[in-house]
Amino acid sequence: MNPLIIYAGTFLIVAALIFMSVEQKILAKSMASFTLVFILLTFSSASTEWNRYTSEFVDEADNPHYGLPDLWDDKQAVCFHFPADFAPSNLDDGRHHFDYDGTDFKTDKDWNSTGACVGGFEGYTNGLDLFNAAVESTGTTFAYNYTEFSFGWQIDTISGVAPCEAFTCAVDFSSGAYWELLHNGAYSMVGISDLELDSNSVVTWQIASY
Amino acid sequence: MIDAHAVNLGPNGMLIVNVVLLSMIGWGLLKTEKNITTQSDLVILSLLAIFAISGRILLEPLPNIQPVTVIVLLTGIHFGATRSIVLATSVALISNLFLGHGLWTIYQALGWSLIGVFGALISNKIYINNSISINPLMFIAGASGFIFDWIVSISALHVISSDIFFLYILSGIPFDILHASGNMFFVAWFAIPLSEIMTRHVSIKQPSVVDNFAKTRV
Repeated sequence: MNPLIIYAGTFLIVAALIFMSVEQKILAKSMASFTLVFILLTFSSASTEWNRYTSEFVDEADNPHYGLPDLWDDKQAVCFHFPADFAPSNLDDGRHHFDYDGTDFKTDKDWNSTGACVGGFEGYTNGLDLFNAAVESTGTTFAYNYTEFSFGWQIDTISGVAPCEAFTCAVDFSSGAYWELLHNGAYSMVGISDLELDSNSVVTWQIASY
Repeated sequence: MIDAHAVNLGPNGMLIVNVVLLSMIGWGLLKTEKNITTQSDLVILSLLAIFAISGRILLEPLPNIQPVTVIVLLTGIHFGATRSIVLATSVALISNLFLGHGLWTIYQALGWSLIGVFGALISNKIYINNSISINPLMFIAGASGFIFDWIVSISALHVISSDIFFLYILSGIPFDILHASGNMFFVAWFAIPLSEIMTRHVSIKQPSVVDNFAKTRV
């Protein structure tokens, strides 16, 4: 349940108890004191929830954060795009948005791919550190497997989805598929462990085929 | 040298220090007010300004909670629109010299001035038989928190598009609620003593016609 509803319910119940039990001459002081203390105690969490609720998607196509909640402006995010029919069952109705603490707060059902973005991170300078932070904040949803080669890491599966499940991969490698890494919407020329980030980087994983 | 400068207080520690300082200022002003002999209301307005400025600066760790809105509202009710505008503008300017002065100071002065003017307009409905009605005043003070914040939010139009202004207002609602609840707290606890102090120092209008007549006679 949304914490805002829990806070509102708790406030109403306690306020009603105060109203019924406190003498009329100190009622105003009691109610005002309770209200202020309650709001101060819940402010941080309630404000975060409210910001999530009121955030809108960035609509400037040339912005690296295009399509992401404006709550994440100047912050870092990692997106996972799955081919149609291969998204995890709870992420197959559009693009979900998880905040840094793992809260799934907004879904864009009109986005042209299915999956999710995990964002609201700050201060990461290395792509792998940000990637791991995004994966860890969402539990096992985006757990990944990888193979380490001399030239770096190759991501084998994310959320249990292997590229060759979604696309045809020939034994002679004449055709195949792989988890492709994008940085701010452009193909990354380095692997995730060598990727240097900006303060508002958007790292995207999607399956590409050849 | 090792002294209190070496003590690194956290935000809660600083807040306690600030509340103690504000209480000392309030207590001192209360004592001072009892010894004021002049009939002019300027002295009490100055004391109120000191308390409002101190309150705004010292309560800065608490987001959007300060006594200025309620003091300006009560000033409007007791001393009228003109004096509340002077008080509101002075408090906005002087406190912003400490907290940060800029274009927004005009909007803050405007917001608080309008609340003072509104207080003056409703004075005879709120202040009846030398007594202030707390429940309606709490409601008005709460609403004033929202109105002041929205007036100050207009300053954002200097840097953001009007298309997203509504969203900007919407995202600030938690802070508006804090301001409103802070105002209601100040009204509940301090409106009656402040109103009594203000009532004691409202200037008695000199009966000029009679005065002139008396002088002519002499």
